[in-house]
Amino acid sequence: MTEINYCLGKALTACLAALALGGCITSRVEDAREGITGIEEGESVVILAKSYHLGNETEGKYISCIEDALARGSNGLRVIPHKQFVDSLFPWFEPRTAPAETKGLPKLMERPGVAERIAEQNVRYIVWLDGDTDRVAGGGSLSCAAGPGGGGCFGFAWWQNDADYNAAVWDLKGLESAGSVTADVSGTSFLPALVIPIPLIARARAAACKGLAEQLREFILDEPEV
Amino acid sequence: MRSLIAVALAAVFVAGCGSNVTLDPVTIPAPLIDPMPLSIAIRIPAEFEHFVHEDEVLGREKWRIDLGRSNAALFSQLFEFMFDEVTVIGPDDDASALSIDALIEPSIDAFEFSVPRQSKTEAYAVWIRYRLKIYDSAGDLYANWPLSAYGKSEEFGLTGDEPLKRAAILAMRDAAALTIMNLDKSTAISALKDRPPASVASAESQVAAAEAETASRKERGPLPKRRDVTLPPPGPVAGPAVLAMDPVDDGPTDTVREESTND
Repeated sequence: MTEINYCLGKALTACLAALALGGCITSRVEDAREGITGIEEGESVVILAKSYHLGNETEGKYISCIEDALARGSNGLRVIPHKQFVDSLFPWFEPRTAPAETKGLPKLMERPGVAERIAEQNVRYIVWLDGDTDRVAGGGSLSCAAGPGGGGCFGFAWWQNDADYNAAVWDLKGLESAGSVTADVSGTSFLPALVIPIPLIARARAAACKGLAEQLREFILDEPEV
Repeated sequence: MRSLIAVALAAVFVAGCGSNVTLDPVTIPAPLIDPMPLSIAIRIPAEFEHFVHEDEVLGREKWRIDLGRSNAALFSQLFEFMFDEVTVIGPDDDASALSIDALIEPSIDAFEFSVPRQSKTEAYAVWIRYRLKIYDSAGDLYANWPLSAYGKSEEFGLTGDEPLKRAAILAMRDAAALTIMNLDKSTAISALKDRPPASVASAESQVAAAEAETASRKERGPLPKRRDVTLPPPGPVAGPAVLAMDPVDDGPTDTVREESTND
């Protein structure tokens, strides 16, 4: 019984260590401002993915993460859910029809009902997300075995994920581009196993979401970086 | 009891080797457009109303995708939004008694899909190539417009066959957007308003025309056997893989070409 408790204790310690530790992450978040930003009380932001017709593969998970992160906190922005926005302006923000550049905005606003729907939702900024997270490298080997007396794993594996995203900010007040924010995050995860595998996971996509959302909020609120 | 268990196991085995996907009728939001001042009829062919696609993925998984009434529901709803007056008629109904400017008959030329194991991505994709035939009030074929629609969906937040259903719905929504944008540009249907009103030709003449086209298709040979498809390359038109697989360019026969711009 004491031996079982000892083993459970070891496993628990390993799990806690895995939770406490993580993989290696390097991150670079930058913005490029083209105009003065700022947002007034009641004005809102919409997060959209650039069209998959143009080869973009931004994950739905990432869009939801940015929406949640921007809306959270004491200085959270008012975020209109992307599906609600796209449905309300059907068919002008569909993957095939959405404007690819700000120079298409004046013509879009002239279409029947478009300016009114945007005004109803008080949308000030559209943020177009582009990019994705890819596994770019990996290696090592890990083998596990189990028998009547127990089981275990032995080996070492690693992999690297790169999360590169760009957020282009369009100001619907001036019908112009306000600038862009980019996040380049590289995360290397490790999985050493000596009987018990201990995953040291680098969450590159989550880090790219957090970094981009924070920078995006500062960008829109026009808060100077400290 | 043993035979019952055997049957149950066989059922589980068979179910594991294939997927049955059935789409519910699709709806689209009310579009922000001014309807065209035309009175039209839509003839829904039987094969369009009950379209079923069967395929084998990587030679193993059998897929049966039943679009059911979704296409008929989509185009009926879409044209209700696009035109002032719309009458939906069945495949055997005679349109000659109707006072209309045009008769539109949608059909599906091709349906393709890909699953993540084929495309090596996390996405399900669906391509549908529709064809809209437009007849004038005299029953003559006025325009014949093929349109290619594409939809892509990830597995995120969806389970089972939901991502494929979602991709199919997005492809239909894409077809609706393309129709709104380009129907008049590609077919000049609005010009039919100025034509003198006359009844649409009898169903027999249209059946004869359809038969002639079927015969012509047979002469050109069947479509090639499906290959594994990959997601379309980046580009404004998202070039559906199915287009590249078609042996002939059966583009518009008597009217302007399909366009894909949103100008």
